[in-house]
Amino acid sequence: MHFLLPFFKSSDATWLGETIRSSRIYFPIIETFHLLALTILFGAVLVLNLRLCRLIMQHQPVQQVASDLSPWASWSLVVILVSGVMLFASEAMKCYASAPFQVKMTFLFAALIFHFSVHRKITRANREPGLISGILVGTVNALLWLGVGLGGRAIGFL
Amino acid sequence: MHEVPAIIHWMNNSDIGTGIRESIWLFPIVETTHVLALALSVGILIWFDLRLMGWGMKHQPVSQVHKQVMPVAFIGFVIMFVSGVLLFWSEAEKCYLSGFFRAKIVFLLLAGLNAGIFELSTKKSIEDWDKYPIPPVRARMAGLVSIISWAAVIIAGRATAYNLF
Repeated sequence: MHFLLPFFKSSDATWLGETIRSSRIYFPIIETFHLLALTILFGAVLVLNLRLCRLIMQHQPVQQVASDLSPWASWSLVVILVSGVMLFASEAMKCYASAPFQVKMTFLFAALIFHFSVHRKITRANREPGLISGILVGTVNALLWLGVGLGGRAIGFL
Repeated sequence: MHEVPAIIHWMNNSDIGTGIRESIWLFPIVETTHVLALALSVGILIWFDLRLMGWGMKHQPVSQVHKQVMPVAFIGFVIMFVSGVLLFWSEAEKCYLSGFFRAKIVFLLLAGLNAGIFELSTKKSIEDWDKYPIPPVRARMAGLVSIISWAAVIIAGRATAYNLF
């Protein structure tokens, strides 16, 4: 038995999970919020990473673009995580058996760690990031979030 | 079975339609492309809408934000449109009969009309308010209508797949 199985079992049995399962429309409604927040979060991440790669807004300091985007990115991240936990609780046992879910979580933790360490440091610094480090950090960050999205979509299909 | 126009029936049962619908990989790949291109299209467009509403990037001229983000959003919309047409092709009958899909098309047209009015008319006076942190009412309305109609497109699109009510 996997050491995380009890966690998945108890998530599946929570009041939250059972409530969401009790209606046909709760899941789609929560998932729609998940998708709307995804649009805002990924859009913000993309703008900032395109700027890091110097493809757009070259005349704006990275730091300023980052501070413009961050409130929207933060709020959409909150919505996406809260709705994500709700969706997870409603089908935790399905997720336990799902390979795409494992891929998604791996990318998610990697993306969050990278986003709030290296990425945050380089986008909040007073000094403009160099061309190479900007491209590198921007590309890695975009790919990590893309992995989260691909894994997430695949849960519904596989 | 409900009656559908001949062209819808033909699309649904054409080689392309059947091929995508019944393929193990093709439908999920096209669908995933369609969903993730949301970030490239609407996710990017939102920043221009927010600028128009005076809610974000206030220190950049409106024309500058437009010039920077619109080419990227345009690429996103092309991907959206192509993958969307393929998805429709593969489920033409289901889509045609779905109230949500019809609502989606209405909101798409609304978003397009709103963008057209902005590009052809509202934008003419952009030099007068380009640097304003908060643009005039007409421009703010264009941003607001855009965000609302695109959100409605996404909601109706998601509901089409679930085919619930």
